[in-house]
Amino acid sequence: MATTTDPDTGPSTDADANAGDPTAEFRKNQSWLFDTTAGTYLRKIVVGFVSTVSLLYLLFPLYWMVVTALKSTQEIQQIPPTVFPENPSLEGFRLVIESSLETGGYAGVVENVFGVTISSAINVDVIGIILNSLKVSIGAGVIAVVLGTIASYVLSRREFRGKNALMSVLLASLMFPGTAIMVPEWELINTLDLYDTHLSLILIYGAMTSPFVVWLMKGFFDEFPDSIIEASRIDQCSSVETFWYVIVPMARNSLIASFIFAFLLAWNELVFALTLLDNQNYTVPPGLLTFVQGFNTQWNVVAAASIIVSLPVLLGLAYIQRYFVQGLTGGAIKG
Amino acid sequence: MTHLELDGVTKVFGDPEKDGVVAVDDLHIDVPDGDFLVLLGPSGCGKTTTLRMIGGLEEPTAGEVQFDGTVVNDVKARNRDVAMVFQDFALYPHMTVRENLGFGLKRENNDMTDGEIEDRVTEVAEMLEIEELLNNKPGQLSGGQQQRVALGRAIIREPRLFLFDEPLANLDAQLRKTMRTEIDELQSDVGITSAYVTHNQEEAMTIADKIAILNHGQLQQLGTPDAVFNEPANLFVAQFVGSPNMNLFDGTVGERGDAYRVEMDAASFDIPKRLVDTEFATTDVLVGFRPQDIFQGRGKKRGASGPSFDAEVRVIEPVGTEAVVHGDSNFGDITAKIGGFHGLTAGDELSLAIAPEHVYLFDARTEALLKGRLIAERADTQPPADGVEV
Ligand SMILES: Nc1ncnc2c1ncn2[C@@H]1O[C@H](COP(=O)(O)OP(=O)(O)O)[C@@H](O)[C@H]1O
Ligand SMILES: [Mg+2]
Repeated sequence: MATTTDPDTGPSTDADANAGDPTAEFRKNQSWLFDTTAGTYLRKIVVGFVSTVSLLYLLFPLYWMVVTALKSTQEIQQIPPTVFPENPSLEGFRLVIESSLETGGYAGVVENVFGVTISSAINVDVIGIILNSLKVSIGAGVIAVVLGTIASYVLSRREFRGKNALMSVLLASLMFPGTAIMVPEWELINTLDLYDTHLSLILIYGAMTSPFVVWLMKGFFDEFPDSIIEASRIDQCSSVETFWYVIVPMARNSLIASFIFAFLLAWNELVFALTLLDNQNYTVPPGLLTFVQGFNTQWNVVAAASIIVSLPVLLGLAYIQRYFVQGLTGGAIKG
Repeated sequence: MTHLELDGVTKVFGDPEKDGVVAVDDLHIDVPDGDFLVLLGPSGCGKTTTLRMIGGLEEPTAGEVQFDGTVVNDVKARNRDVAMVFQDFALYPHMTVRENLGFGLKRENNDMTDGEIEDRVTEVAEMLEIEELLNNKPGQLSGGQQQRVALGRAIIREPRLFLFDEPLANLDAQLRKTMRTEIDELQSDVGITSAYVTHNQEEAMTIADKIAILNHGQLQQLGTPDAVFNEPANLFVAQFVGSPNMNLFDGTVGERGDAYRVEMDAASFDIPKRLVDTEFATTDVLVGFRPQDIFQGRGKKRGASGPSFDAEVRVIEPVGTEAVVHGDSNFGDITAKIGGFHGLTAGDELSLAIAPEHVYLFDARTEALLKGRLIAERADTQPPADGVEV
């Protein structure tokens, strides 16, 4: 017996070889990948490698933006490019802030207060475009959330003819590229006399994101148990109290997720903003584009500007992303 | 403190003219102030719907719900001042247990201060042994704990009525028994009229002052636990109440002197006329005996003898000091609950008998009760120590 049993072979795939091993009958159905030490290491290595590659893939553009912002124009144009900046400088940031102050009309104030004279070759008011973008994105978010939630409530709670058709149209509209209906939308904006207004963008972005909000919130309302509303009625709540103390807190995550979705789309949208607005009303995406000036583009300035305009959104998202994920995954009901 | 009355209450879901579902059909139930009513019946018989109509969550299609003689059909749920435990708990997922318990008190139009509410919450939490859970959200609780929070949310107020919808269904057997006793005690203490839904006949029998047995939305019987057990209005009630199930056999009945002669396939016996209250309008009957009433030995204890028969033991299921024995007799399958089962094995022959007082007779066609189980006479026919216990 002892002659045939070799405990060091470990879990082998071959039961016959372990005929003398009393545990052999528990090891019949084994795979090399999952049941041997070597297989386990291989799995860990593969998983680690894939994770690292995807992480690099995701984060490298961000890294490149930061590094570029810290390089000088010369270093940027160097071939081969440097992975780490040799002489990190904040020159790019200085130019962005100066141009912003000057174009925004604060240069005089700064000169009076700090005694520094600002003269900039670039004329983009970064603070101005951030404010414009905030205005447009928040407006679009509010429109999408309010309209989308009301629509989804009705679609979830009421039966009516054409409901399925309506849902399909909403879904289809999500698949449509926004640019496909650009010309009619220009017509519409012109007819409404909204050309070169932020309201035009708010309306367009709100309309573009509402269908998504409808789908997200419909999922929420579909899952919402009636008995919780009934429990609140038994607990002597009026409809308003039920809405305020029960439904709104429970819907919070889904509402936040909807808002963020609409907000981000509006924050990043370029084509409508570029075509519907004039320079002085630009939002962030077309605003950044004006830094790109053909062969004279100062890429460190572009990168610095990109970082500056991302900051408000990054800070907001860092705070709120937990709700975003819960809202998207329907964690709201489980509480 | 409310006298609850259901007067011809009916609920039809969908279009009554077309394919509407009649969930509750012309229900008449009267619950005196402070009574504990249990609505009992199989799944889908309309218990929950009835309870929801009492609570104002569902509007009756016809009939009246009355609190203390006042019709409350058009009073909103939140103005009826009832407390309810929902079948699926319906706890507020975004609130802690403490907030869940206190929510009703906060919304109620009382003049309790926050401190008083907090004291009351602690008191109820202690009673239900959930003090350590007060800061948890419902999502972090087990089913049993959630159920106790749901109970706590109901009993924290002093409502006109308690409504319970299968409040113990999700608890394990042990907890179910303790909570059952606790609900019973609590209700007797505060004396608040209660309606309690369950499909568990044992639960109903132990907790109820009155049991209303429903089937297909219709009231089968309204009576005390004793009454539904001993004098079930019909075959359905007789089979639904009591465990193990009643033994049932076909038979015919005729008169012989001062007794009725019951003829079955394999046996016949007399039932003295003094044991029977109703006139027999039929000769075809169903003869029933409860497994608990079957005892071992030749049935010549005292007075007239009931049916007796031999059975071959098939399966023995011990339950403590007694055993449920399934056997084959010349009537067919028979189930008996007997003591003194030690030494018994499958294949053994048993001599079994039933006292005529304990025999149930039903009209074979209408299934209405002709003769129930008489407890008054039971003392006379008490079987020996190894015999039957209910
Ligand atoms: N909201 C509803 N719409 C349609 N039918 C319903 C509704 N609620 C209950 N029913 C039907 O009414 C009958 C009784 O239901 P219910 O009162 O929940 O039974 P129970 O609580 O006794 O199991 C069932 O046939 C059920 O399908
Ligand atoms: Mg039910």
